[in-house]
Amino acid sequence: MNQAEIRKLIPAVRVAINAKHRKFSNPKGPEGRLTMLRKTVTELVKLERVELNYQRGDEARGYAERLIAMAIKHGDRHIPTMEMANYWLTEKQLVHKLFKVLAVRYKDHTESYTKLHKAPNIYPGFYRERVVLELKGNPFPPLEKKNSSHNWIHNILLEEAHQDYIRKKLKEGERSN
Amino acid sequence: MALPKLQCITHALKNLSLLSHPDQRALVCVNQVRAMSRVKRRHTVPPFWLPKTTRTMYPEHMTPENEVFLKDVIEEKYSSPLKTECWERGTWAKNSMRCGLIGRKIGIYPMWTKDGTRLLTTLLQVSDNQVIKYIKPEDIVQGKRKRYRELGALVIGADHIDPRIVTKEYYSVFSEAGVMPKKKMSKFLITPNAKLSPGTPLYASHFQPGHYVDIAGITIDRGFQGVMKRWGFKGMPASHGVTKSHRRGGNIGSGGDKARVLLGTKMPGHMGRERRILRGLKVWRINTQHNVIWVHGPAVPGGVGSYVYIYDSVLPDHRHTQENHPPFPTCFQDEEEVEEELYDQELHTFREPSVQFVEK
Amino acid sequence: MVMAVVAAAALRSSSTRLSRLLPGVCGEAWGHQARRGAVLRVLPFIPTQDPDVIKKMPEDFRAVYPEFLPGPKPEYRNRLREKLERQDMLARRSVMPIPEFYVGSIMAVTVADPNASGKNNRFVGICIQRGDAGLRAWFILRNVVDHQGVEIKYEMYSPLLQSIEVLRLEKRLDDELLYLRDALPIYSTFPLDMEPEVMQEGAPVPVNPIKVQLKPRPWHERWERKNLQGVMDLGLPERFYKKAKLHEKPWEKYDLMKEYRATIPEEEQADIFREISPHYPLMESTRRRGKRKRVLPSIS
Repeated sequence: MNQAEIRKLIPAVRVAINAKHRKFSNPKGPEGRLTMLRKTVTELVKLERVELNYQRGDEARGYAERLIAMAIKHGDRHIPTMEMANYWLTEKQLVHKLFKVLAVRYKDHTESYTKLHKAPNIYPGFYRERVVLELKGNPFPPLEKKNSSHNWIHNILLEEAHQDYIRKKLKEGERSN
Repeated sequence: MALPKLQCITHALKNLSLLSHPDQRALVCVNQVRAMSRVKRRHTVPPFWLPKTTRTMYPEHMTPENEVFLKDVIEEKYSSPLKTECWERGTWAKNSMRCGLIGRKIGIYPMWTKDGTRLLTTLLQVSDNQVIKYIKPEDIVQGKRKRYRELGALVIGADHIDPRIVTKEYYSVFSEAGVMPKKKMSKFLITPNAKLSPGTPLYASHFQPGHYVDIAGITIDRGFQGVMKRWGFKGMPASHGVTKSHRRGGNIGSGGDKARVLLGTKMPGHMGRERRILRGLKVWRINTQHNVIWVHGPAVPGGVGSYVYIYDSVLPDHRHTQENHPPFPTCFQDEEEVEEELYDQELHTFREPSVQFVEK
Repeated sequence: MVMAVVAAAALRSSSTRLSRLLPGVCGEAWGHQARRGAVLRVLPFIPTQDPDVIKKMPEDFRAVYPEFLPGPKPEYRNRLREKLERQDMLARRSVMPIPEFYVGSIMAVTVADPNASGKNNRFVGICIQRGDAGLRAWFILRNVVDHQGVEIKYEMYSPLLQSIEVLRLEKRLDDELLYLRDALPIYSTFPLDMEPEVMQEGAPVPVNPIKVQLKPRPWHERWERKNLQGVMDLGLPERFYKKAKLHEKPWEKYDLMKEYRATIPEEEQADIFREISPHYPLMESTRRRGKRKRVLPSIS
């Protein structure tokens, strides 16, 4: 049956996700997969910036976003949210950090809470796509520098073209009037 | 002994049969194909003679104001009235062929007829179809089949692409017609009386409820499949002494004189991602506001979101006559007023009262 | 033109780039013909600009009208198709109103039947399951007629349906009552000429806490593994419960993404409500038909 679950009302996750979950085959099976992702989410909340493989980072990102969204929506008095935070964050002081620091930080955010950057792959060695998963608003220096490009030649030329265009439009407007 | 057939492959954009004069073609022998079973089915790269559609993108660091400016310029360029010459519109005659449409399969849902029969219908969305080029009958690259009537061709394009990300080569295809570059293009063979000027928009009202269509599409890719799913073999029992052969093909030859495995023996292999044509599908309903066509059955080739090519049916039972032919050469929706929802006579529109059976 | 919000460095497939530039497909999984192993990426849903859109949605919208929410499988989803389907559903509801009902409610359905005398066929039963989204939405009614258990599956939007009446509006402790097939027949027997019961306007739907007694094994399913609330103690030997424990998956309730992939997000539900809100008053007026009792405020 292709029917949506209606028992819970869940806010939308603000990142792109895969339609199907990644299996991450594990000796302990699906439980081992969740244990592995738990470690990643815990490290992310603790360190706020982690470098890992793309597949694991992308999968953990969804869980981290959902956990933070739940903390913001329900707060720390809501029992199911507390149980969920207790499961996903294996160090107990991080549960406090989630509700007292992260939920406050992201209260008014309209975009995602995490960011996934491409990281240089480890060479030589077995080819693995590496990424850096970080929480937005972390205290570290930014990874990608924003190029202030308004002084670049193509932008200057386009600006001038824009001015010409406006002038042309005004002239045509006057002519038609 | 039969000589191996040479394949004439045209390479480079200007030699594309869609667009060029046959004299400019270069003959290149690439592959000697001896049988269909030797033809490679799974192609991970497009053919070398197809032009690259999108150019390599580099981070351009354009300021947001410039981005907005460029978008405005593009909108202005393509929203102005097309520089289409008004060609003479042909009239329907017996054995006329008009062009088809390029649609996208957007889903399947049930509908009911007036006597309560339930049927599944596939929804096909026809978005931004425009005529790109008309190829005269003299310029058509003749295939090996001899044609007994004069046929031209119309190249139809569907779904815009942003002109900024398109290669120069690909863009030149559209600059003549003055239309926005298209994602998908297809050639439709037509009789010359059905020709349309480049830039003419085509809508779902090109077809009408009650008429029949043939739909060509690429089937869902099922990957490497075993012999039971691919060819419908029955397999072998799960128990009763069967050793390690529950889903296998069993015997593959007869031995004796033909001491080899015959060509075309059904075996496991790649299944799906092939072009298939489904004929004689009835059009039940058309929405002219969103350009959606409801077509009979759930079996249109391809998954949800895939492109399909819709033609007027060639089946003898559904041939057009003078009384019941569709708008020819197409329905010019911009000029005439068309109703928003068009239904087939036998279809139960949901606004009608419930179906009831009258006691005889 | 609204663009999908995707971190620039996280672009993994060129299809995401194209979908940013092609109007009309933003926020939608680009379902173009891909190779079998290729991954389908679901872009984030872009809600409307109205910040109060979630607050305007009634609390019980998804419970009363669950078939308006689309099926969650991204391979089959398309916004335009869902919109057209909802329009058709509303058109049908304006002709034949469909009342509010839940699994556990007792209903009477009249269908047009060419082979029945009087050309209509009326069946009364308890709703044991409901499923599917959109125009395919169906429910199963169960009753025991002449000591024979009968289950009939009705498509809610079929034009053959003349009327759907809810005789007793209530919920049960479980979401599906398929165990009634293995329960004593008394629990599935309802008189075919049952009168509609009094329904309180605006009152919450009562939950029937009945515990059903099952017949001895063999059953249709291993009910001891299903965590049923609405059955009496099954009275099975200890080995059944031990085996059931081995099959339990206690980690699944913590799997946030699994539950997310099976649901439609809040913002999207609110958008759907916004789309159908012009028709909402008409649907609400026909929600609880039948004998209604107004609760007057007491003066004391």
